[in-house]
Amino acid sequence: MYIIGENIHIISPHVKTALEEKDARFFQELAIKQVEAGAQALDINLGPRKKDGEEVFPWMVGVIEQVVDVPISFDSTNILGIEAGLKKINKSQPIINSTSAEEERLEKVPLVAKKYNARLIALTMGKSGIPVGADERVNIALEKLIPRALEVDLPMSDLIIDPLVLTVSGCQEYCPELIQAIRTLQFAWDPSPAISVGLSNVSNAVPRENRPLINRIYCALLMGVGLKMMIADPLDEDLKETIRILEARDESTALGRLYLNLRDRTAAAEEPRAEDFDLADAQQAAIWKTVQILLNKVIYADSYLEQEMAS
Amino acid sequence: MPIEIPKDKWPGKIRTVTLGATSEQGGSRGKTVTLGGASTLPFMNFEAPMPHPPQIAFELRDRRPDDWSAVVLDVWGGAADDPAVWARAAEEQGADLLQLSLSLTNAQGNPTTPQMAVAATRKVLESSSLPLMVYGPGQAEADNELLVAVAEATKGERLALGICEDKNYRTIVAAALANDHLVVARAPMDVNLSKQLNILITDMGLPPDRILMDPTCGALGYGIEYGYSVMERLRLAALQGDSMTQNPMTVSVGFESWKTKEAKVGADVPSAWGEWTERGIQWETLTAVTLLEAGADLVILRHPESLRRVRLAIQDLASIAQAA
Repeated sequence: MYIIGENIHIISPHVKTALEEKDARFFQELAIKQVEAGAQALDINLGPRKKDGEEVFPWMVGVIEQVVDVPISFDSTNILGIEAGLKKINKSQPIINSTSAEEERLEKVPLVAKKYNARLIALTMGKSGIPVGADERVNIALEKLIPRALEVDLPMSDLIIDPLVLTVSGCQEYCPELIQAIRTLQFAWDPSPAISVGLSNVSNAVPRENRPLINRIYCALLMGVGLKMMIADPLDEDLKETIRILEARDESTALGRLYLNLRDRTAAAEEPRAEDFDLADAQQAAIWKTVQILLNKVIYADSYLEQEMAS
Repeated sequence: MPIEIPKDKWPGKIRTVTLGATSEQGGSRGKTVTLGGASTLPFMNFEAPMPHPPQIAFELRDRRPDDWSAVVLDVWGGAADDPAVWARAAEEQGADLLQLSLSLTNAQGNPTTPQMAVAATRKVLESSSLPLMVYGPGQAEADNELLVAVAEATKGERLALGICEDKNYRTIVAAALANDHLVVARAPMDVNLSKQLNILITDMGLPPDRILMDPTCGALGYGIEYGYSVMERLRLAALQGDSMTQNPMTVSVGFESWKTKEAKVGADVPSAWGEWTERGIQWETLTAVTLLEAGADLVILRHPESLRRVRLAIQDLASIAQAA
């Protein structure tokens, strides 16, 4: 699993303060921490920075490249700011996060990616927002995103399709559709573009204590359909352990066998079954309930783990 | 050629919830009303019988309302000045149960006191034998103060107390628990919050068969399809076995319908809109019948003619070929 570390994000109050104070050391430490924890690239989301993007983005590149070598992913809608940052890149091939299929963005952003030899994350989202259905999202990739990449002569290996994770809290019906979208997308083009998602989005608006569980179960399901790249929290040890179990096919523990079962059932386009779980075991029961909400079988509620088992 | 109609069989079932208590049961009602029990979608009689067809309540106020459509106030006439008279009239007009809404203030603008709320509730209970729902004015502080007093003064009547919302439910649930009442749990057209609220309320120890869900509805032309989808989704989840969505649903159809311009306003509207009274009744009736199809077990109405029409619709729909 190629993890793009998500932790330098303006939504964090610490990041916000550090940015206001231009605290280079804070960002360097957070960059090092993520890379040491296994991040293979770093997503940098500082918001649009409409006023000072062209100054802040290059500053950040300088700060980060002083301490780590991994690719920097510019997570912003400010294309001028991104371009200023790209000019400053000295180390690894950077990533632009992102373009959508909206005409104006799709016109401009791929040209910038091409010009600066950057990889490009392209969202399966058009003018009218994010479609629910898997097919519609795949169609956006096939009809808009990939053709545009070909048009500007962006190598397919530099295109990263993001079919968009939405939160189980309020957009539950999108969750199983995304699994199908990833399953289909890999076979939609030859050679296949890379596929990446923002994993933590699945638990947006979920009470903090339940977020890691939802994130890692969704990760297991998505790995079942072949996900190999994501923006996620590299400091989440349980998430990384889940990934390790799945990649190593480590069947030495009951939990490991359960994760593999989930992964394999999803890979085979089968639904996970209650009988695969030891529901008397609290941990396994929690995983089963989480699978049920992620597959939109049971309606999500903040206290979903406290609900008695459905009959 | 005989046609085989496919039949669905669902693993889940709607809970039955009984409102009201007779004198043998510790209350004073002449009858009880049971909602729920369905094991398939509404009126799919060929799949499974509907053990308790939808019921109809009339909404009353503790005093003459300031903001109701003149069409509705005219039909109730002087009865609307006195909850005792109004309750008797509502029972005579064929309601299955009554829903009393407490006002925030009296006619002079002074806040409704707990004593006033209790007095109005008592009047309704004394002049009508029907099971009763009592709703607070809709402001957390006032709701809690008034409903606790009402709950204590009517212990054992199995009233339905409302409205519990995610920001304000604990006091009302505690009052229901301590005094053998039920609660109405309302979420703002949101399946996740509806379910969450049921979990929170049962966590406090109130048995799930003492909770009615109010998913919030929109009137015809004012979000009815959105409310419909939410109700349908909740009902499907319930039938699929999700225990925290299996409560009967109640909707305040009168409240929503009669605040629409079409129902409320008689003057300065296009003549193509037709006669005002008929239009208002149609608005309420169509909203109600539509939501019955979405799974409403209880509709709360305001106009007697709407009740007659909705009742007919329920009877017609419920009499369509039973399971062979």
